[in-house]
Amino acid sequence: MPRGRRRTELLMLAFAVGVVLFAYANVGFGLNGKLPAGLVEYGLAFVVIILAAHLAVRRFAPWADPLLLPLAALMNGLGIVMIYRLQQSGRSGNPGNQISTITASATATQVLYSAIGVAAFVAILVFVREIRVLQRYTYTLGAVGLILLAIPALLPASMSEVPGTGAKIQIAIGGFSFQPEQFAELALAVFFAGYLVAKRDVLSLAGRRFLGIDLPRARDLGPVLIAWGVSLLLLVFESDIGTSALFFGLFVAMLYIATQRTSWLLIGILLFVFGAYVSSKLFSHVGERFTVWLHPWAGDNPTHSSYQLVQGLEGMGFGGILGTGLGHGQPFWTPLVQSDFIITAFGEELGLTGLMALLLIFGLIVERGLRAAIAVRDPFAKLLAGGLAFALALQIFIIVGGVTQLIPLTGITTPFLSQGGSSLIAVWALIALLMRVSDTARRPAPQPIQDEGMTQVVRAG
Amino acid sequence: MNRALYRLSLACLAMFVLLLINVNYVQAFQAGSLAGRPGNARAFTQQFQFQRGSIIASGGGQNTTIAESLPVKGTNMYRRHYPDGPTYAQITGYDSVYGSTGIENAYDKYLAGTAPSLAVHNLISLLTGKPKQGATVYLTVSPRAQQAAYQGLRSDGGHQAGVVALDPSTGAILAMASYPSFNPNLLTTFNGAQLNKIDHKLLTDPSQPLLNRAINETYPPGSSFKVVTGSAAFSTGKVATPQTTVPAPQPLVLPNGHTLSNDAGEVCGDGHPPIIQAFWMSCNTAFGNIGMKLGARTLQDYASKFGWNDPKLTIPMPVSPSVTPLPPGLDKSLTAYMAIGQYSDAVTPLQTAMDAAAIANGGKLMRPYLLNYVQAPDLSTLAKTNPSALSQAVSPQVAGQMTQMMIQVTQNPGGTAYQTAGPPAVGSLVIAGKTGTAENTVSGAGLDDAVFTCFAPASNPKIAVGVIVKGGGFGAAAAAPIAVKIIEAYLGIHQ
Repeated sequence: MPRGRRRTELLMLAFAVGVVLFAYANVGFGLNGKLPAGLVEYGLAFVVIILAAHLAVRRFAPWADPLLLPLAALMNGLGIVMIYRLQQSGRSGNPGNQISTITASATATQVLYSAIGVAAFVAILVFVREIRVLQRYTYTLGAVGLILLAIPALLPASMSEVPGTGAKIQIAIGGFSFQPEQFAELALAVFFAGYLVAKRDVLSLAGRRFLGIDLPRARDLGPVLIAWGVSLLLLVFESDIGTSALFFGLFVAMLYIATQRTSWLLIGILLFVFGAYVSSKLFSHVGERFTVWLHPWAGDNPTHSSYQLVQGLEGMGFGGILGTGLGHGQPFWTPLVQSDFIITAFGEELGLTGLMALLLIFGLIVERGLRAAIAVRDPFAKLLAGGLAFALALQIFIIVGGVTQLIPLTGITTPFLSQGGSSLIAVWALIALLMRVSDTARRPAPQPIQDEGMTQVVRAG
Repeated sequence: MNRALYRLSLACLAMFVLLLINVNYVQAFQAGSLAGRPGNARAFTQQFQFQRGSIIASGGGQNTTIAESLPVKGTNMYRRHYPDGPTYAQITGYDSVYGSTGIENAYDKYLAGTAPSLAVHNLISLLTGKPKQGATVYLTVSPRAQQAAYQGLRSDGGHQAGVVALDPSTGAILAMASYPSFNPNLLTTFNGAQLNKIDHKLLTDPSQPLLNRAINETYPPGSSFKVVTGSAAFSTGKVATPQTTVPAPQPLVLPNGHTLSNDAGEVCGDGHPPIIQAFWMSCNTAFGNIGMKLGARTLQDYASKFGWNDPKLTIPMPVSPSVTPLPPGLDKSLTAYMAIGQYSDAVTPLQTAMDAAAIANGGKLMRPYLLNYVQAPDLSTLAKTNPSALSQAVSPQVAGQMTQMMIQVTQNPGGTAYQTAGPPAVGSLVIAGKTGTAENTVSGAGLDDAVFTCFAPASNPKIAVGVIVKGGGFGAAAAAPIAVKIIEAYLGIHQ
């Protein structure tokens, strides 16, 4: 009889919590040789949050993948540890410069966001008992997603611009800010899945054959052009290149999963490259990204346009292979290091070794998601899980590749690690959806109460 | 749909592989150049976050810290402090945010803890959570001798001067001072603007306080070169013993028609004195004549045996070579000047000390050095100088003959240094020495450069000193008292 493997999950969770607590203590020792303040409080809070998630999984998704939750908990915990380390820089007599963009309560806030994130995770497991339920809300969620995307563009810059970046992606009221795009991505993934499941037969129809590739019919190009148009609008009105690329990549990938037509992939990539090229010529802020990427060290770029990228790279170089050790580096030189550039802080203090470990954990999360997509039978669940797992991989690629100068830098958050509630809550919701799909996939077929031809149900030992 | 999902999985794998390759490129291959980039605030700041090792003057059985890193209140930085800055400035050099000089520069790897031999220690510190610490550098410098040296130069009328004291049997540098000096503490500020100002002031100061005159400035040796000429005369057999008489006309008519005179036109004995008398009286004509007999090449060869004409000497700071250029066409008349240290001979205070040290050590010249040993924070010894010979300048017999002559300079009432380094000044202590008073047209001060080379006690040499005071006047008057002060301080003799 198949097992849910919840005990494995608990064991892995204990291990993840152990790593996180050890890293947290390490920050204190690294900074001033003492156990850090808040080890008990934050530690306990973290254990309670994680335990709540585990119990919810036991109750509501007992067959779900046992690795996803421990991996998510580990990343979330390490993110809190790094936020704490950055918050403490230059504060309470610790070495380093104070980072003005981080408040003294950043860690507490991040722990609170983690609790809300796990609450969202539990809520999804409780209310979305079957992933197919979401299919009913295909168009509703599609509308919600578009509205969420559009809000910041319609708001005045004072309310929607992230300070210092020029990107209009948030809704700031009072001291709180909220980035709707993080949730829009989830809503739109559901919409794409529902829409493509319904239309995939039509979209798979071959049109003309060109250079050995079956092109789709011209009249079926509508949806992909609309998605492209929306992503370009995002780029132009919200200066948000990263999300634009992520959103369009998600759509093209799901289109490909649904139709299995390579032509859609090619069309998508060509459209994106064309759009990016034209906008880099038309809009200076897009063009500047390319200059910074190609010539970060040229002229006065290192002290001006490419300052942030250069500081991040120098920090990673400074960390080298083994890193400086938590609390021993100087990540405070990189502006806004707690958000998009947090991966460079990990690179600096944990070194290449630690950074590769983080990337492998991210890779494992993506792999577990893709595995759930492959294993599940229902096409809607398959599409949704495949799309979400790919979107996560793409998001990691865009931001980590951006800060390590592999691709042009575009500001999006690093899942689990970056400071900020919207991103953390959204990624917990994403993990919940993946776990729901894997629960469906791994759930054994209902046992017949009585098998014909047998007088007795014999259970295999 | 699974076929597409498998392909998409491969795409995800490719993205992660690209990221992994790229972070390897950044953090493994590019790491060094990124970390060391000018403008990388991290490396710059880190340099002052660790406690740099101390420099300790440990000669003569005394340990005195001459450079240390002290925590700066309210920061996590350490600032370099030089307890007796100007006295030791030419030895320690300085460690500023712009760079370092002197021992700070030469042994930076040990002091900063980056030497490969400290790697294991650093790893243990890392694992045990102890702060990283540099190694301590122990120098051969004797605090007593060094203080006497610097005070001696400073109280000598403000002339530019340099002095070096050596242990003749090992080559260990016991004192090395230069005047005017500077205060290295002014250069350890973290304030860039202030540092620029001080740096500019020191660099443009006409008295060149940053110049280490003890090893990086040369002066005409004057009569102190007669130690070399005398050694060459005995070694070649041109003069048999100190009692052998030599012609010493007043004046000596040179082949080119010019005349060479003794100081103040003094008559040298009866005109045919034993060489020992010509030496203690410092007769120019006697040694000019001997020089012409020896020839310029022989003089240069013997000078080189004493360590002259060596551009590669380091202690570990590079030493400017002392030189004895050959006169054009080996001109006899100019060779006579060369033999009395006047033609184009140029000498550092260090070389002046080495001349005496070679005689004191039975003719064997030891390589001069500053490093005693380097001690890791765990008290293990990382490096140590083993004394080594540079050359056998003269035979022990010749060294003995030269010692006899140098003793007479201070002990014979007619000796040039009788009053300042003989019994009237030092009582029963016997110093063997040779004065030099070099006409220095370059100095333009009208006054001659004063030189004194010596060692003591003559019977059992413990210390050899070379002093040069630019524009100081008579060697016996301006230079010898400084040497005496250093010798007395080092040997623990209080007058």
